[in-house]
Amino acid sequence: MATSTLRRARTSWALWAPMAVVVVGVLVPLGYLAVRAFDAEAGELAALIFRERNLRLLGNTVGLTVAVLGLTTVLAGPLAWLVTRTDLRGRRGLTLLGVLPLAVPGYVMAYALLATGGPNGTLAGLTGLVVPRPSGFVGAWLALSLYTFPYLFLNLRTALLGLDPALEESARSLGAGKRETLRRVILPQLRPAFLAGGLLIALHVLGDFGVVSLMRFETFSYAIYLQYSASYDRVYAAWLALMLLALTGALLWGEARLLRGRRLHRAGTGTARRARLQRLGAWQVPAWAFGGGLGFAAVGLPVVTVLYWLGRSAERETWGHLLTALGDSVLASAPAAVLAGLLALPIAYLGVRRPSPLTQGLERIAYLGYATPPLAFALALVFFSLRVVPFAYQTLGLLVAAYALHFLAEALGPVRSALYQAPPQAEEAARSLGRTPFRAFMEATFPLLRRGLVVSIAFVFLSALKELPITFLLSPLGFQTLATRMWSAANEAMFSVAAPYALALILVSTALVGLLLSERTPDSA
Amino acid sequence: MPLRLLCTLALALVLAACGGNEQPATDAPAGSDGDLVLYSGRSQALVEPVLDRFRETTGIEVRARYGRDAELLAALAEEGARSQADVFWANTAGALGAANNAGLLTGLPDSLLQRPGAYVPSSGRWVPVTVRFRVLAYNPATVSESDLPASVMDLPTMEAFRGRIGWTPTYSSFQDFITTMSLVHGEDTTRAWLRGVSALEPKAYPSNTPMLEAMLAGEIDVALTNHYYVHRITEGEAEGAESVAIHRFAPGDVGNLALVTGAGLLASGANDANAARLLRFLLSEEAQAMLAENVREYPVLRDAPTPSFLLPFDEAARLGPEIDFERLRDIEGTLRLLRDEELL
Repeated sequence: MATSTLRRARTSWALWAPMAVVVVGVLVPLGYLAVRAFDAEAGELAALIFRERNLRLLGNTVGLTVAVLGLTTVLAGPLAWLVTRTDLRGRRGLTLLGVLPLAVPGYVMAYALLATGGPNGTLAGLTGLVVPRPSGFVGAWLALSLYTFPYLFLNLRTALLGLDPALEESARSLGAGKRETLRRVILPQLRPAFLAGGLLIALHVLGDFGVVSLMRFETFSYAIYLQYSASYDRVYAAWLALMLLALTGALLWGEARLLRGRRLHRAGTGTARRARLQRLGAWQVPAWAFGGGLGFAAVGLPVVTVLYWLGRSAERETWGHLLTALGDSVLASAPAAVLAGLLALPIAYLGVRRPSPLTQGLERIAYLGYATPPLAFALALVFFSLRVVPFAYQTLGLLVAAYALHFLAEALGPVRSALYQAPPQAEEAARSLGRTPFRAFMEATFPLLRRGLVVSIAFVFLSALKELPITFLLSPLGFQTLATRMWSAANEAMFSVAAPYALALILVSTALVGLLLSERTPDSA
Repeated sequence: MPLRLLCTLALALVLAACGGNEQPATDAPAGSDGDLVLYSGRSQALVEPVLDRFRETTGIEVRARYGRDAELLAALAEEGARSQADVFWANTAGALGAANNAGLLTGLPDSLLQRPGAYVPSSGRWVPVTVRFRVLAYNPATVSESDLPASVMDLPTMEAFRGRIGWTPTYSSFQDFITTMSLVHGEDTTRAWLRGVSALEPKAYPSNTPMLEAMLAGEIDVALTNHYYVHRITEGEAEGAESVAIHRFAPGDVGNLALVTGAGLLASGANDANAARLLRFLLSEEAQAMLAENVREYPVLRDAPTPSFLLPFDEAARLGPEIDFERLRDIEGTLRLLRDEELL
């Protein structure tokens, strides 16, 4: 077994300390939920747990998740293939279009869809065409799919770029047809990326409250949001949160089963060549129509909507407010993103290189943190910090830690995918040449993880910029992010006030996405 | 290299953040009159201009935390005596009653309690700041006002509005309205009313603004809401102002209920003197006029001018049933009702 030398090595504290931080940071909130959940009498509890409504919520939640996974796969799969494996002109631009929707917060997407339809909608205002507003299931399905598909796209793209074409060529030379090669060689290699991206999307759908509340589609998260924000009772909310967690637990377990026993890194010597590009010929046009249409729906629509708000304005926000909000947003999100990346490295490393029930279980715990409804997570941290570390309450440090712990799962996927493709032999060789385990990792493996790590940091940065409930509950007093300002104004239908914040949010995120893509251009040129 | 640059930058920020941590603990020793901390159940977009004016005139810094009433109550409950909050400005009397029930509020000086012209609760633990009225909003393009019921209690019989009614069962002012209905008509009648309206397949919105946006978009024809949401559209910048109007029920009807927003001093606060100054400012003619103009709610000062687009205060007040707002604190019963009827 190739990994035996590594497994024999004693695990250092550098690996386990971050692990402990994550486990405590994630499990404490869950403990809080359990305490809250049993904070009622037995008869009352039974009535809460066996409500018919819970079944309806379950059906809605599962249905929406499956539908969003289906649509995002259909959108992200072909797009990833087009930009990595074909001679499509302007692939770089299309890649950008596939990532940019990350810069658009889900609630802005939902607002944009809502603002488009109806007799007073933007579409009617601009063209005179009246279409009904999307709402309920269809509205939530469209809005969620349009802003989450980049998670799958980025994972698939990274995996496609990392694929060694020699494998496909071997398959072809052994007589396998194109289709068989796709099914037996390429798709299995893409499986970790698909599962990582799909898991993120599923967790996003499970945890989202902005989109579902605007579209009025009752999922568990929406119900929890209503319980916390609209009633003084935390017991039923805690139960709903536990039910949602059980659902997430099942999902995580399923993903772990599907990943078991994978070995996808190259075993040979030398470096992988780049794959030969498929000629598109006359298919250039439909390919562009697909990419362009998708880009317009996911990026153009929200941007046009925000500009439209900006244009019809009477009241204007001052630059001072805008700059303060921008500063606060970056001050909290940037450190959180790096912290999450740093925490993700050892966890993904242990999970991939020393697969044992323990390490993989710990990795799953990070996902549970992501799956804990943000409101419950935030309240739990309020409770925890006030009792254990009162000096940290309502400080930037706590907000940064909360972001990092909550969004850690987003950082894990890309690092893990990169690790699967990084051969352990180089690190073993470095060890046998007398390097310490840490130096061996830094010199032999870390350089191969850079691409994944950058994507990880970008994911967390973007998510933290857009985050609402945790920010509302945990931020220092008087702290105003672009997201909270935007949400507050839009909630009062003061769209012209909300517009500059939404625009700034989209621009900052776009700049970040551009920076990260440029970091990775050598392989996509 | 971008990655290294990014990491260095972010690490610097982490360090800065950690350095910043200790400040709140050392900066504001208990008992001193320092920066005020406001927990506001009213939205930032409405409150911030008023706070800006307060900062300008008094030189006192106010740091605000925004959320829905229930979120802030939950936070206050968790924070207990450690809370830094000085003032709670809530959206509803129900939330203030709940805060008082939980022992979070302190008594107010008489000089404050005597400022408002009416609606001061018997407990004397909080003061009303603005008044709003429950109304039925409707779309005059699709509904004629003569077809609308004289009492909100008759809404369940309006078969013509099947699938076209909007309401906000999870929103605090709707819950205050249901609590009042239970006080006036009894719990059984209220339950029957909820059931009757539910049978007409109403659309439930998380709050009033999206509900009225939906009315403008043609999703619904009538909506149970507060008056100022309608005025914000008809007097504001939004398009489609002709698609919404106000219907008032017959005098004395519970559907015309007056509801107050209010503020109280928190027992946990360390800045009582400045906190009282903020309350006094909220009840000043200047702030009251700002709230009436910007938020389009009624002032609580007897002599404060009412903007011309509002029904004169006395007239509006006569339309509603008379109740002591302190009695609205039985929010538990209302939540139970809503839960029984699968609305929450």
